[in-house]
Amino acid sequence: MRIDLLLNGRDATIEARADEMLIDALRREGLLSVRATCGLGVCGACTVLVDAEPISACLTLAPQVSGREVTTAEGLEDSDPVARAFAEAHAFQCGWCTPGFVLTAKALLAERPDPSDDEIARALGGNLCRCGSYLKISEAVRRCAS
Amino acid sequence: MDARVSGRARYAVDAERPGMLHAAFVRSPYPHARVTSIDASAVPRDCVVLLGEDVANLGPYGCQVKDQRVLADPARHIGDVVAGVAAASPGEAVAAAALVEVEYAELPAVFDPVDAMAPEAPRVHEAAARSADEAVSIGVRPIAGSNACHRFRIRHGDVARGFAAADVVVEQTFRAASAAHAPMEPHAALAEWEGSRLTLWTGTQTPFNTRADLAGMLSIPEESIRVIAPPMGGSFGAKTFVRLEALVACLARKARRPVKAVLDRADEFLTLNRHPAVVRVRIGARRDGALTAKEVDCWADTGAYADCGPGVATKMGYAGVGPYRIPDVRVDSLAVYTNLPPNGAFRGYGAMQSVWASERTMDILARELEISPLELRRRNLLRDGDEFATGEVMRDVHFEECLQAAADAVDYEADPRGKGLCVLLKGMQTPSRAAIAVERTPVGYVIRSASCEMGQGVRRSLQLLGAQMLGCEPGQIVVPDPDTDTSPFDTRTTSSRSTYMMGRALAEAVRDLRRGDGERGFGEIRNEGGLDPDTGQGVASTHWHQGAAAASVSVDEETGRIAVERLHAAVYAGRVVNRPGAELQNEGSMLMGLGAALFEGIDFADGQVTNANLSDYNLPAASDVPRLTHELLEREGAEVHGLGETAVPPVPAAIGNALASLDLDLTELPITAERVLAAVDARAARRAGLEARR
Repeated sequence: MRIDLLLNGRDATIEARADEMLIDALRREGLLSVRATCGLGVCGACTVLVDAEPISACLTLAPQVSGREVTTAEGLEDSDPVARAFAEAHAFQCGWCTPGFVLTAKALLAERPDPSDDEIARALGGNLCRCGSYLKISEAVRRCAS
Repeated sequence: MDARVSGRARYAVDAERPGMLHAAFVRSPYPHARVTSIDASAVPRDCVVLLGEDVANLGPYGCQVKDQRVLADPARHIGDVVAGVAAASPGEAVAAAALVEVEYAELPAVFDPVDAMAPEAPRVHEAAARSADEAVSIGVRPIAGSNACHRFRIRHGDVARGFAAADVVVEQTFRAASAAHAPMEPHAALAEWEGSRLTLWTGTQTPFNTRADLAGMLSIPEESIRVIAPPMGGSFGAKTFVRLEALVACLARKARRPVKAVLDRADEFLTLNRHPAVVRVRIGARRDGALTAKEVDCWADTGAYADCGPGVATKMGYAGVGPYRIPDVRVDSLAVYTNLPPNGAFRGYGAMQSVWASERTMDILARELEISPLELRRRNLLRDGDEFATGEVMRDVHFEECLQAAADAVDYEADPRGKGLCVLLKGMQTPSRAAIAVERTPVGYVIRSASCEMGQGVRRSLQLLGAQMLGCEPGQIVVPDPDTDTSPFDTRTTSSRSTYMMGRALAEAVRDLRRGDGERGFGEIRNEGGLDPDTGQGVASTHWHQGAAAASVSVDEETGRIAVERLHAAVYAGRVVNRPGAELQNEGSMLMGLGAALFEGIDFADGQVTNANLSDYNLPAASDVPRLTHELLEREGAEVHGLGETAVPPVPAAIGNALASLDLDLTELPITAERVLAAVDARAARRAGLEARR
């Protein structure tokens, strides 16, 4: 089926089966920052923003984003303040989980511009970093706080 | 913007070749079973099926013991691959694999390394396999007629004499569960043949070992194989030696098309895990705390195949001695086959399991001697010029500084209640060899090295070191992906050796470039050494990874829940090359240690993994991070010390000893709430017993 959506700021039409997960449809579009990892929605490595809300693309059917706005890491500007903060705080190691963390942090900061440490830890609870970069990830989020 | 932040980083899972097929595997549902028949007639004709007859003429492989075949028969663990399928899409491959009908005849199985050493235990491998000669750096010593594929021993002094001289002797047996590396990127490999030449794109820490092992298996020259190693989305030891590469190479040869395999998360738990281990420690001391003798017995469960289990058992063995002056030492460390999935290199390489046992025992001894655990360690720590149990004379020794720094961070001396310490030594791959090439370009330099990037930042370290040595900006230095066709030889990217070994090779290469035409330079470093596997004497490590940790905990004795209030690690770095990278290594190591301490363990039921997903197998998340600090000890003029793993092994023992300070004795990892409650009950029973005697 054809799915019309706003993908990374542009009107787009993607092809997907009705029973297909969003992650597979997005990867077919070349959006390889969306990464299959746990398949259960617990690790956050396939996080994308749907209407500014972070969701797991491995648990979302592709047709569910019809008519909605979808943002992946590829849709962020190089000047994106959250991405820049991650780079400046060295808040990554292998980088596999980083796009998901950046998008989750963006959603948190949009809702709570000055989150407490507890709120940061809670908001990032659905994203796993096996390299264990959490201290610097929290630091990156704090750098963006107003 | 760094490609890892922007999402533009590409990994082996993203590799593609025109016309490529996707692989899926048929796995044994039995822990030990002969394949009696395979019927693949239901598989669609446009799929390619790899069966036993296709690989019958191929040799065995294995990095330290050649005990593996491309397709298993008998299957030796649940998940052992008995057939492969390649199809146009991953989904079609999985569907086709499900249509392969396999019949099995079950064989008796064994799941515990101590049980597996019983005389009547089922044999996992009928005959002792041939030792691998290429990748191996230790003499493998199988015990004939048993499941032990390797026995490492240290014989240093005379332990009978040492125990006779002791006023106090304590003994305790400890266990550590298996654990999942759980790199976020699963294993992925893509193979393509052009005539008789094989190219592999694979997430690996061991491109040259993989090439050598595959060449032996395929009976082709090593130069006929090219291994390209893109950056990994984490590895932690999981992506070492031959994993999927043999399977995709054989499928691609039969299909006459490129074939790629990407494991799903459940299959990760069947591919390579951490060695579950049983470690028994017996230690004697005089009343003044001076250690007189120590015995360490390790059973490292290497699962269905040896992989690098002999190396892990070796390192487990000597790390279990600890950084102490002990006149009389005996170590017997076994790598034992069982019918669990294979276990291999895991950040810490066996040290965590034996450090857990050894350092917990130190606190038990301290209690018996009524000496502070900190003071007992201080009185026995190795210092410059002391001899270790391997006969090595120790230089550049900083154990006491590391330990004191850890103790001070939790204010241990003011009040040790609820606090625990651990100090450790860990060796680096010895002997080993690293070579590197530098080439001038119009805009800077290219550095060619087979050191593999897995998030530890080796590429950045080479850029920083290169910029310093060559007098340019780090950004002017390009470090391409390791490629066995163009990168000089390197033993492998393991044991925290890359910055140290490659850094020195790079200094050689830059000297060579300056001496020559200024266009290209080549440098090579060889570190000689190794231990005699029968006596444990020799050179275990050309330098030592030294560290300590301290933990402060509180316990909810109603629920068994532990709160780690504070965790600190001090690691000797010598000289830091890439500060944020070094900090990330310490932080990541401590969190992996925290997972090992409190919640990470693979659960098995008769050889079947029962928590093979990231919902039931818990990894540390942001909200699990305690108040965590660390420091990197540096010394003017010191050489670079690897620090990629040092802070993993001390964390579980520091937490265990913090519990011991509350009279809660834990002997098994992970320290689950159930185990804490059992320790609370045991303490109550002990106290009641004391009360009754009064």
